[in-house]
Amino acid sequence: MTTVPAAAAAAAPSPAGAAPAAKPAKGTPARRHSPLRRLLRDKAAVVAGVFLIAVILAAILAPWIAPSDPYANNLRLRMKPPSAQFWLGTDAQGRDMITRILFGMRTSFFIGFVAVAIGGLIGAALGILAAYYSRLDNLIMRIVDVLLTFPAILLGLAIAAVLGPGVGSLIVALAASAVPTVARITRGAASVVMRSEYMEAGRAVGLGDGALIWRYLAPNCVSTILVYLTLQFGQTVLLGASLSFLGLGVQPPVAELGSMAAEGRNFLFFAPHVSTVPSVAIFLVVLAFNVLGDAMRDVLDPRLRQ
Amino acid sequence: MGRHIIERLIVSVPVLLGVLLIGFLLLQVVPSDPAAVIAGPTASQDEIDRIREALGLNEPLWYQFGNYIVRVLQGDFGRSFISNTAVSDELLAAFGPTLELMVASLVWAVPLGILLGTLAAVRRGRLTDRAIMAFSVAGVSMPIFWFGLMLIWIVGFKLNLLPFQGRAGPLWTIDGLRAIALPAITLGGVFVGPIARMTRTSVLEVLGADYVRTARAKGAGEGRVVVRHALRNALIPIVTLIGLQIGFLLGGAVVTATMFAWPGLGRLAVGAIVSTDMPLAQGAIMILALAFLLVNLGVDVLYAYLDPRVKRA
Repeated sequence: MTTVPAAAAAAAPSPAGAAPAAKPAKGTPARRHSPLRRLLRDKAAVVAGVFLIAVILAAILAPWIAPSDPYANNLRLRMKPPSAQFWLGTDAQGRDMITRILFGMRTSFFIGFVAVAIGGLIGAALGILAAYYSRLDNLIMRIVDVLLTFPAILLGLAIAAVLGPGVGSLIVALAASAVPTVARITRGAASVVMRSEYMEAGRAVGLGDGALIWRYLAPNCVSTILVYLTLQFGQTVLLGASLSFLGLGVQPPVAELGSMAAEGRNFLFFAPHVSTVPSVAIFLVVLAFNVLGDAMRDVLDPRLRQ
Repeated sequence: MGRHIIERLIVSVPVLLGVLLIGFLLLQVVPSDPAAVIAGPTASQDEIDRIREALGLNEPLWYQFGNYIVRVLQGDFGRSFISNTAVSDELLAAFGPTLELMVASLVWAVPLGILLGTLAAVRRGRLTDRAIMAFSVAGVSMPIFWFGLMLIWIVGFKLNLLPFQGRAGPLWTIDGLRAIALPAITLGGVFVGPIARMTRTSVLEVLGADYVRTARAKGAGEGRVVVRHALRNALIPIVTLIGLQIGFLLGGAVVTATMFAWPGLGRLAVGAIVSTDMPLAQGAIMILALAFLLVNLGVDVLYAYLDPRVKRA
């Protein structure tokens, strides 16, 4: 449920415009405003961006700002609905939901971050290899194409089965599901760089493959890859939560949004807030990433701009 | 065309081998010695050794892997640790319900998605477009389990309109239809957004094409232009993109089946993994992956058939 190929396909051609567009060509009337300026004019994107910054800060600072202990249970206060004392109520073990949500986001974000970093590195390496060595191109990209559509949940199932359910296998599964798309985006960006004059010049003065890749090819793809990874982050969080919801990822009592929603499932009819609150948190975070992502794509992709 | 199919088949081979390898590995991570399990607690070491030999467990791993592939090709996935029934029987029993769930979801989600997407494209930039696109982004961002839980809570529990636990018989009975309604709404629901989005993009592209302008210039009515000239041509990429989303649907089906106790492959797989029933987990994952590869290949061939440009590419 991660990849929405439409989004990936639309993002693919953007590398061409992404890097150069970052520096506004002053004087040309068509591009008077920098992409950032144009992004700031999109109200929905601004709201999403501010929301995400706030949420990520809150997740990082959770141990210091949370009102109580995420693991201190109090059976007298079980499944209390939202009130003045507990703004979002309490869960089945009487733990404060706000605290749990803050720590849950911390876990979800941390797992997503590690997974995206690993998957991003591997995918970027594959994409650059495919763009640089034309002999490898066909082989790598054909396999990537098949993997691209491979259901991420299925990947998660298989990995959880081999390694056993847990944080480790969750990270592996999320990283693996990120690899093919990143490889694709990177290859797109890298092939544009390959055609540039400085690559040719570098080759002409006798630079080796390693130097060309490390000094010129890779650094010029980094911004595109980073932008894409940021946009992909919401989907990674969603997938991670889904796998944890199924019981294949983070295990209770660790606070994580998906497993919290799963715990609340058992009390859905008495205390719907227990699973609704973490679900809404996931929804809002993923929505914000998607809104921001769409806005960035509109700004960066010249084809879609009218 | 033939070459295209063969090429795709060849590319699928490494992926297929990878999937088989995972299935094989699943059976290797079993904590206990399968020969000892079969021999029983009172067996002597001699007996266990004999069974090991008979099962081929003393052969090198690559040889065992070869054997495994042969067995899978014959439809032999071993026996479940827990129920001791043949895994292939359990898979067969779960396959039908999975297919039902996917079809029941697509049957309403695809037409609705295409309708909304076309509407958004035609009303581009206006309120209708923005509302549909906002709905679509929200749909893509919605955790499928939350949508399902809300339906269970509101429609199933509060209003008590529809059942939400398990399957209640074949689809041509009223009970069967009532039982599949909520799972199908859940799974199809998260699918409408992406389809609407893809349709909008394709239709917008086509609406700018010369032949659409020609049709307009010849005085064709707006409805005719949109349906006959634009949508028809936009359908090719839409069909392919929907096909490529089958993986997404399959993933959603796993979550949906687990949530609604729908007796499909997804629930089987999740249950087997959680209870470390490795042969069953292996079989379920294998079948899901094989089904996915097949559908993908089918979509690819269909695409080549629909779009002559691919044949020569």
